[in-house]
Amino acid sequence: MSFLKKIAKPVYHKAQDNSMGRRSITLAFLLRRLTRRFGSKEKASSYLAKNMHRFYITGSKFNKGTQIKNLFRKVDIHIPKSGFIFFLDEFKHLSEDGHIIDNISIDYSKVLKSSVYEYNELYFHPKAGRGFARDLSSDFIKNQLDALDGIELLIYRIIKKLRNSNHKDRAKFARYFENMIDKPAEHFEEALQRILFYNQLLWQTGHGLNGLGRLDKILEDCYFDDLNSGLITQEDAYDLIKSFLKTLHTYYWYKSAALMGDTGQVIILGGKYDDEYGEYYFYNDLTYMFIRAIKELHLPDPKVLLRVSSETPRDLIELSLETINTGIGSPLFSNDEVVIDKMIEFGYDKEDANNYVVSACWEPSAVGKGFEQNNINFISYLKPLNEFFDNETEQFLENVNSFGELFNSYKYYLKKDADELIAFLDNIEWNNDPLLSLFIDDCNEKNMDISQGGAKYNHYGITTVGLANTVNSLYAIKKLVFEDRKYSLNELNKMRKNNFKKDKYQAILTDLKNVNPRFGMDDEEILDISNEIIQFLEDCFKDYTNKFGGKIKFGLSAPSYISAGAEINASFDGRKAGEPLSTHISLDTNKDFTEVLRFASKLDYGGAKFNGNVVDLMLSPDFIKNHTDKFTDFIYSSIQLGFFQMQMNVVDSKTLIEAKENPEAHPNLIVRVWGFSAYFNDLPEEYQDLLISRALKNEGKIAS
Amino acid sequence: MTVRITNIQHFSLDDGPGIRTTVFLKGCNLTCPWCCNPENISFEIENYTHNSQNESFGYDISLKDLEKEILKDEAFYVENNGGVTFSGGEPLLQIRELEPLLKSLKSKNINICFETSLSAPSNLLEIAIQYIDEIFIDMKVLDKKEAKNVLNLDIDLYYENLELINSSNLDKKNITFRIPLNNEYTLKEENIKDILNCIEKYADFNVEIFKTHNLAESKCKSLNQEFTIFSPVDDEALNEVLEKIQELNSNAKIISL
Repeated sequence: MSFLKKIAKPVYHKAQDNSMGRRSITLAFLLRRLTRRFGSKEKASSYLAKNMHRFYITGSKFNKGTQIKNLFRKVDIHIPKSGFIFFLDEFKHLSEDGHIIDNISIDYSKVLKSSVYEYNELYFHPKAGRGFARDLSSDFIKNQLDALDGIELLIYRIIKKLRNSNHKDRAKFARYFENMIDKPAEHFEEALQRILFYNQLLWQTGHGLNGLGRLDKILEDCYFDDLNSGLITQEDAYDLIKSFLKTLHTYYWYKSAALMGDTGQVIILGGKYDDEYGEYYFYNDLTYMFIRAIKELHLPDPKVLLRVSSETPRDLIELSLETINTGIGSPLFSNDEVVIDKMIEFGYDKEDANNYVVSACWEPSAVGKGFEQNNINFISYLKPLNEFFDNETEQFLENVNSFGELFNSYKYYLKKDADELIAFLDNIEWNNDPLLSLFIDDCNEKNMDISQGGAKYNHYGITTVGLANTVNSLYAIKKLVFEDRKYSLNELNKMRKNNFKKDKYQAILTDLKNVNPRFGMDDEEILDISNEIIQFLEDCFKDYTNKFGGKIKFGLSAPSYISAGAEINASFDGRKAGEPLSTHISLDTNKDFTEVLRFASKLDYGGAKFNGNVVDLMLSPDFIKNHTDKFTDFIYSSIQLGFFQMQMNVVDSKTLIEAKENPEAHPNLIVRVWGFSAYFNDLPEEYQDLLISRALKNEGKIAS
Repeated sequence: MTVRITNIQHFSLDDGPGIRTTVFLKGCNLTCPWCCNPENISFEIENYTHNSQNESFGYDISLKDLEKEILKDEAFYVENNGGVTFSGGEPLLQIRELEPLLKSLKSKNINICFETSLSAPSNLLEIAIQYIDEIFIDMKVLDKKEAKNVLNLDIDLYYENLELINSSNLDKKNITFRIPLNNEYTLKEENIKDILNCIEKYADFNVEIFKTHNLAESKCKSLNQEFTIFSPVDDEALNEVLEKIQELNSNAKIISL
């Protein structure tokens, strides 16, 4: 999720009013990327200075299609000595007019089946007949045709350069590129190359967080054709997959958004589907190969999401667990038994729900059919609760006579934040996007750019954070103030406002921290409070539709737990001012994983509440290894029980602490953050500290 | 009807087949110096302070509430015979109180496992046997005098109970000896000889051996009890014992608890 970008964007768009401003903002982003690439600002600055002659931004006086054509004419082409062709020119930029649509997966199965020629055909004049005249009646089509010309131009430039290069298989790869002009992809390697090429185009045109989609399904035909005709063996295919993944891992510094590792490169594998004969689980050789490959390569990125159901083969779950046990934090399990139904309930066609993928982290969406911005902003549940207690007078608090009254006041504040968010959403302008419009249904049918509402689905997805802190705060107040009458609201609030600093507040601080039951426990009261809050938020959004007719969906997993915690005061769950909010759906102090799974399965994900709901487990190394069989049983039982999604961090506090003190000793230590995996050493200190403290809690070495 | 327990542990993976809920019953008449659950020895509820908070080991729970807690994880028992494990303390000592619960769980097809030292009157064990699907039997010090002195265990009663189990309808593959090993007591040459004899006699029981650990130190501190630190057992000694046992019972294995 592109957090920094979000903060920087208002500045950016103001600066766009003059071309100098646009240039300097783009340069600032470039410098940030280069700093990651070279590891220091000095090296980055000197590299930038030496290469300034390569710097280029398209002129915004041209339409977007022409700009794309100009960009693809200008990008520097890099041909490696062997293997897949994939390059990004960090100095060439497309002008940004409004927010660039990001965080989605295009449908690569269409890319494999179609050619530039076939895309061109979409825009021929219907009356003149196919192949005679281009239809230039609308700006949309002009843009589309220009963008297509740009793609064709770049393909020819690559072919020419390839032929003159020392690439080991230049003839073969030149043929793969030639085929992109007028043929569907036929072979497995060719298909992988074609996916990489179109993926490259998205990155080069400023799209971030580009998902890869259901690659085992997309590649199935090419793979089996090659295998059955004896062109490749399984081993060949496996080697190609590894090489493909390594290629995707290149330009890590370019692709990462808010944090290193935050690339959105998620590969979706497996998946439940049903037809008139019954329910099935889709998987094939490639499903296993992709997981085996990420395990063997031990890379944080790209990452895998495995769609699971009760019918998922046991050895696939076991392989996934073995992979997770290596510490790479992937695959994430997404429970099709729940996710698909919730998508249909929200309004997706059954076929699209069956074929779902996720945005950068966990947010389910229809592949290649949506403009869906699934992580457009977030709501903190805790902020309005704190605001209520910051703003209201002592006199007001004195007159709150019941928990019900307090809950209602909280809801009033929560609704204010929801309304503010809606106002923010309505003000967003989107960058015209001929490239995405080419691939996303139904832009071509509607003759409408995706940024204008051309897509089939146009929903906005938001994330929410801090539900655990809020539920625990409300429950603590309910117990201590309204049931046990140990304190008055004002007394408790005074302690909170003091950030629990005074010595005499230490006992109450411990009480608040250890409130039991708490969020994550299978307790009726806790579940009721949790479900009531999220139902209320859903009601706040119920009547909203955006200018394209899309609705709002939200989920309980958000990347903002550190940033959203940093800006607010202490809270009634014993969280001190500035400390992080709780992570996803987790219960770190408790090793009874069944408890948090039972809890998660009783949360209400219906209506609009399905935009990513991850149970986040912390495991000590070897826990899975020593109990593979039983842990596999646990996963199956959990699928039946009905969790939404689940991810696991296999870490031990000792290694994390050592790595923080001595990064060189642990260069390859990978951890799970948000919905992606990253090198521990690449993370900002506050993320490192949070992981250390969660690991310590999980090992029982510190209390909550 | 209530029983006295210290803890209910869901998602137990080392206390029998499948995913289990382990109930730790309070009270035991043995005095094993390496005991890792010293808070389960006394039959009384014990208060202590921790971080200047008053806390206590032990509470009484009604059978109804206990059953509710056990059934919470029913969904996780389905795969591979998961269920409930009664541990302690010595669970047989509260068997009369537990019996109605066992009956009810049995009727719901919940797999029932006991972890016992067999230091309980045989008539209590007889009650338990009707309900037990799986049993872990401690085997520690077997010399009559040593057992009495070190463990406060009546070894004749132990063997009598063992015979009772052996002659019951319990499937032998569901009976497991668990042998804690430490240099100070159980690993002594004479004792190992006795252990091997016993294993030979009941050759169709499973055998699991493990090193005792020093994890109970902080609990002992809370209880104001002395804790003797045991010397670390080296893997060689452990493997040596394993090999000897495997000559009699090839399925014997090392576990870590």
